[in-house]
Amino acid sequence: MSFFLNRRRFLAATLAAGVLPASARAAAPTAAPTADRKRFGVTLHPYYSYVANIAGDRAEVVPIIPAGFNPHAYEPRPEDIQRIGGLDAIVLNGIGHDDFAGRMIAASSRPTLPAVEANADVPLLPAAGSAARASGKVVNPHSFLSITGSVLQVATIARELGKLDPANADAYTANARAYSRRLRQLRADALARLASAGDTRLRVATIHGAYDYLLREFGLEVSAVVEPAHGIEPSPAQLAETIATMRKLDVQVIFSELNFPSAYVETIRRETGIRLYAFSHISHGDYAADLFEREMSRNMDTLVQAMLEARP
Amino acid sequence: MHQQIVRRAGAERETLWVLLAAGLILATAGTAVGLRPAPETDAPLALHQIDSRTGLTAAEQGLHADLKVAADEIAALRKADGRAPAPADLAAQALPPFAADASATARGGHAWTLTESGGSLAYAGLSAAPETAGSLVLLLDGHGPGIWLKRAAEAPPARLDEASLAAAGWKRITSTFTAGVTR
Repeated sequence: MSFFLNRRRFLAATLAAGVLPASARAAAPTAAPTADRKRFGVTLHPYYSYVANIAGDRAEVVPIIPAGFNPHAYEPRPEDIQRIGGLDAIVLNGIGHDDFAGRMIAASSRPTLPAVEANADVPLLPAAGSAARASGKVVNPHSFLSITGSVLQVATIARELGKLDPANADAYTANARAYSRRLRQLRADALARLASAGDTRLRVATIHGAYDYLLREFGLEVSAVVEPAHGIEPSPAQLAETIATMRKLDVQVIFSELNFPSAYVETIRRETGIRLYAFSHISHGDYAADLFEREMSRNMDTLVQAMLEARP
Repeated sequence: MHQQIVRRAGAERETLWVLLAAGLILATAGTAVGLRPAPETDAPLALHQIDSRTGLTAAEQGLHADLKVAADEIAALRKADGRAPAPADLAAQALPPFAADASATARGGHAWTLTESGGSLAYAGLSAAPETAGSLVLLLDGHGPGIWLKRAAEAPPARLDEASLAAAGWKRITSTFTAGVTR
C-alpha cells in the first residue's frame, strides 16, 4: 500500500515539475523582445563568444543551457525550453554537438524559430572512432575547436544574423572581421614560437576525437583515438588494443582533455611512457565573450609546448 | 464398431503453422523494405571534382579550410585597396596558408604566385612535397572562390579557368554540408 502511495506522490511531483513552468510561461510573457534589440540564442560556450563578439552591444546573446551542464550529456529541461520562446534566432553547431536543440525548439512556444547553421560553410572532417558510421556522413562536430573553423563560422553567423537584423548587418560584418583577425593572430603567435623549431612533425594520439580540426592547422594528423565515443571509457580489451596500436605507430604525444579526469588515461601513460598533454574542450565555466580566446590561447600554448618538447 | 483415428503425438501441425506465419512475416517485411528504398540524395561527383572529407590528405584538408578563409579576406582587401593583394602581402599579414611558418613547411611548403587575367584572380601554390599535399589553385572569378588540386609539383596551365584546369587534370575540391545527420 505504501508503495502505491509513494508512487502516487512521485507521479504528482513529476507532473507538477512539468506543468508549473508551463503555467509560469503563461503568466509572465517572455516572447516579446524589448525594443528592437534582438535576442540571439546559443547552445555551446564557443558560440556564445562568437555571437557576443559579432553582436557587441547591438543584440543580446542568450545561452539556452545554463553554465555547468556537460553538452555531451545534456537532457532538455522545461525551464530551458521556455527560454527559447523569447528568442529572435538561434545559432547552432548543427552537426552533432547540439542535437538536443532541434527537439527543444520543436517543443517551445516558437517552433519556427530561425536557426543559423554555423557550420554551413566549413569543410567538415569525418567523425572518429565508433561515431564514423552511416557511410561517412557523420562528421566530427568539433569544428569550433580550431581557428580556421571558428573564423569560417563567425563569417557565416555574421552574414545570417545580418539578414535577420538588417539595421545592424554592417556592424555585425565589421565586428566579425575584427574578431576573426584577433583569432588568426592567436594562431600566428603560436606558429611564430615554432619558427626556429625545425621539423615539428609529430605522431599524435588523442583521448577524445575532438581535436582533428585544431591539429590540421599545424600540419598534424591524429594516428589513434582512444575513446570509443565521448565520455565512454574503453573496455579493458579496447584499452589493451589501443596501447598496442600506440606502441606500433610509435606515438610521441597523447592529448587528453582538461576537466575529464579518467583513471585509464593514467594507465595509458604508465604503460606506454608517452608524454601526455591536456586540451580544453571549451565547454566549462561561465559564458563569456572572451572565453573562446582565453581557452584557445591556452590550447595553442599546450600544442606549442608539446611540439617543442617532442623535438629529437 | 466405433473407429477413431488418433493423430500421433507430435507438433508437426503447429510447427507448420509457425513456419508459415514466420515466412509470411518475412515476405511482408521483405516486400515493404524492397518497395521503400532510402532515396539516394548524394549527387555523384564529376570526374574533375574531389570530396574534401574523403578525398584529401590531412595536410590538404587543413590547406583547403585555410584557403576558404583566405578567399574572404582577399575579397575584403581587394575591395578596400582597389587591387588584388600579392602573396607576399598576405604572408606579411600572417594569413595562412600564404604565411611562411612552421605549418606551411609541415603541409607541403607551397610557393605561391598570383596571376591576374581580366576580372579573375588565381593564387597558385606549387607544392614542394606532393605526397603530403598536392599543388593548389585558389581561383577567384565571378562565380565565387574555387579551390583546385593536383597531386604533382606542377604549375597550373597558362589559362586559368575551370575548363583549362579540368583539362590539365586538376580537380576542384567540393565540400558538402548536411545539417543534423545525427539529430
